[in-house]
Amino acid sequence: MRATRALVLSAVLLSATLGGMSSRGADVRGGSGYRMIVNASNPVETVDRRFLTEAFFKKTTRWPNDLLIRPADQSTDSPARRAFSDDVLRRSVAAVKSYWQQMVFSGRGLPPPELDDDADVVKFVVRNPGAIGYVSPGANVAGAKPIGVR
Amino acid sequence: MTPSRRRLLPYSSVLVAALAFARPAAALDLGDPESAPALEVHAFVSQGYAKSTDNDYLLHSSKGSFEMSEAGLNFTSQLTERFRVGIQLFAYDLGTLGNYAARADWFYLDYRLKDWLGVRAGRTKLPFGLYSDVSDIDAARTPILLPQSIYPQTNRYFLLGVTGGSVYGYVNLGRAGALDYRAVGGAIPVNPAQIGAPPELSSIDIPYMAAGRFMWETPVSGLRLGVSLLVLKLNETGVLSTTPGPTNVSLNDVVYSAIGSVEYAWHDLLIAAEYGQARSVLHDDQPALFPQGATVDAGGYGLVAYRLTKWLQPSVYYSFFAANRNLGDQAANMTTNDENIQDDVAGTLRFDVNNFWIVKVEGHYMHGTAALGAVPTAAPNWGLFLIKTTAYF
Repeated sequence: MRATRALVLSAVLLSATLGGMSSRGADVRGGSGYRMIVNASNPVETVDRRFLTEAFFKKTTRWPNDLLIRPADQSTDSPARRAFSDDVLRRSVAAVKSYWQQMVFSGRGLPPPELDDDADVVKFVVRNPGAIGYVSPGANVAGAKPIGVR
Repeated sequence: MTPSRRRLLPYSSVLVAALAFARPAAALDLGDPESAPALEVHAFVSQGYAKSTDNDYLLHSSKGSFEMSEAGLNFTSQLTERFRVGIQLFAYDLGTLGNYAARADWFYLDYRLKDWLGVRAGRTKLPFGLYSDVSDIDAARTPILLPQSIYPQTNRYFLLGVTGGSVYGYVNLGRAGALDYRAVGGAIPVNPAQIGAPPELSSIDIPYMAAGRFMWETPVSGLRLGVSLLVLKLNETGVLSTTPGPTNVSLNDVVYSAIGSVEYAWHDLLIAAEYGQARSVLHDDQPALFPQGATVDAGGYGLVAYRLTKWLQPSVYYSFFAANRNLGDQAANMTTNDENIQDDVAGTLRFDVNNFWIVKVEGHYMHGTAALGAVPTAAPNWGLFLIKTTAYF
């Protein structure tokens, strides 16, 4: 029994080490499968990956100017969502859905709205000053402001 | 129609009314500034089956049983940017527990002043360990039964929620990561009949309890470490059948408990391990029947889950539990050590049929019978098979 416990702990430590190396090595600037956009009035030009993760998990809820962050997701089948989840959240779409099920059914929070497509995300971002979303690289983002991810 | 079935009827009516009157979320989702706060409605329904090779575990499993049902329905509304209200109705049946009695699983008024400080009043889920606040929610995890050493189903009625207040927050620590904390205090109303208490027990009361969970989200993406602490007072009264006549008994416990937690979530991989101890200090007015003093239970587990495909996620865990580790002289009274321990090796396959429906199958190999209570004839080595399906939205 003790050997089994030691094995599990070793796996945790090994994976943590590998994860740390990968985290340091990753550069999601200009991620190939998605593009981040915010409302045109938002002064932000770039955000870091950790900020995005906290915003989309609603752990951080305010922009630096205290405006409410309003993240928008796309449907689970969206290629942009898969790319965003893998590159930024470092979890599969299914794992992210599981996280939100935990939040919803324990009364701890509500997920970002799941919008149908790029056009709906752009519309959402244009209408809400604190909004942030991701779209396909080739999407028409007229009225919204693309930002970088570092 | 049985009383339990009658209790379900109003519950169903609430569901129909909720679905009929819930505002379409899309109006708010697209940022209509004139729209009223949307009411979010979510629900789940589960049905399970359990069969054990020996021993009745949680339900009448030795003969096979379908007494494993759950239903939940919640409403949440973000009334202002910082103010949210919500309520979840929940009913379940697990052997002698629950019996479909619908109750408010949680309800709250929540005001989030800052990211690092929010306050909440009402009945909230108990933050204890990684998963206590989601242990009712089949869709939110891979195993059907979470490791019972840390998340015993028999405690679900009265150790999952507390009525009172809480503070919580998410503190950004810069390069050191972040601290996610939650602390609650209050009381827990308990109905002895709904927790499967023996008939000799006439009242159970938890007049106060306090608990806190502090999770450090480390700079390593997906790795978090935590500690949970809990203290509660438990008062019980009952009447025992003794010779020459019945004896009134009053028991007063103070329980201190702590859990250490590690979780690593990376893409489709989840690894979790927890270890906990509970120390109970008993005072009573019948020490000849219930020896006073302290006992310590301990347990822990290690779990690995990996999503192989969009629709298939296997998981395995090993869980161990040791009851009354510090019995001292009383240890001589134990008939066998098997009554004092329970090892559990479990494997699960979770099938996500679609975004709203899952099916799980699970097998356990058990050694020891500590979670069964005092059953002198219990088989020390036994197996348990479960299948469960859940629909949710």
